[in-house]
Amino acid sequence: MRESVVMKIHYGTALGAVALVAIHILFRMTQNFADSLEFESVIANYEFLPYALLLEVILVLISIHGFNGLRVILLELRQGRTYEKAVTYGCIAAMAAVIIYGSRTILIAGMGIV
Amino acid sequence: MEKQTNREGIKGWLNPTRYGIERFAYWLMRLTGLGLLAYFVAHIIETSTIVDGKDAWDKMLELTQTTEGHIILALVIGMSVFHTVNGIRVMLGQGGIGVGKPGRPDYPYNKPASLNNKHKLCIYASIGLAALAMLYGLQVMFGV
Repeated sequence: MRESVVMKIHYGTALGAVALVAIHILFRMTQNFADSLEFESVIANYEFLPYALLLEVILVLISIHGFNGLRVILLELRQGRTYEKAVTYGCIAAMAAVIIYGSRTILIAGMGIV
Repeated sequence: MEKQTNREGIKGWLNPTRYGIERFAYWLMRLTGLGLLAYFVAHIIETSTIVDGKDAWDKMLELTQTTEGHIILALVIGMSVFHTVNGIRVMLGQGGIGVGKPGRPDYPYNKPASLNNKHKLCIYASIGLAALAMLYGLQVMFGV
């Protein structure tokens, strides 16, 4: 993929994440901060489908943005064919691992299997 | 051709003193990005304890709902605000907004139009907003 396309994805995911994380934070402020973190309250959040979908989208957007940012930083520090490939594939693997692990939590808590 | 060595390495990347506030914003952007990525991964692991039931969740909350936990969260708030506001500045700058018209570099080689006060002001504003957001976050978390 061309680096210009990757950067457009980087900026797109950033703008999307900012808007959705704002909603995520506002959800915590609908009640007292400590109360919003109570087990029942958090489970209720996960079981509310639109909110669970919002969390999933945030997870994907931030994972893509974060690990691409890490890739850019690592490529600025050092260059080389093997190194660049290792960094790119390493970041993609880490991104996939975080998305899978986070999705597992959203799915299990959202389906009420807790 | 003689191989050029990277003499300063990461120290050169982290040195904010040589190129002014733009350079400072450059490395602060990267530093906050790394900090936020670390927090994001930790947050995913932390919230995953909910699938182990109420006891595991309460135990995890006990660890995070401490003075140290609140201070770390306040730092995360500050990092998020700086990274967001400065990121929007960078995006606008790369889109050609606020960087001035390009021109031929003639003698006496004044500063390029891109290094103007608009962007510098945005950097200072992003640092100021980050500090304000951190204070607000501390106020909410400590319930002062």
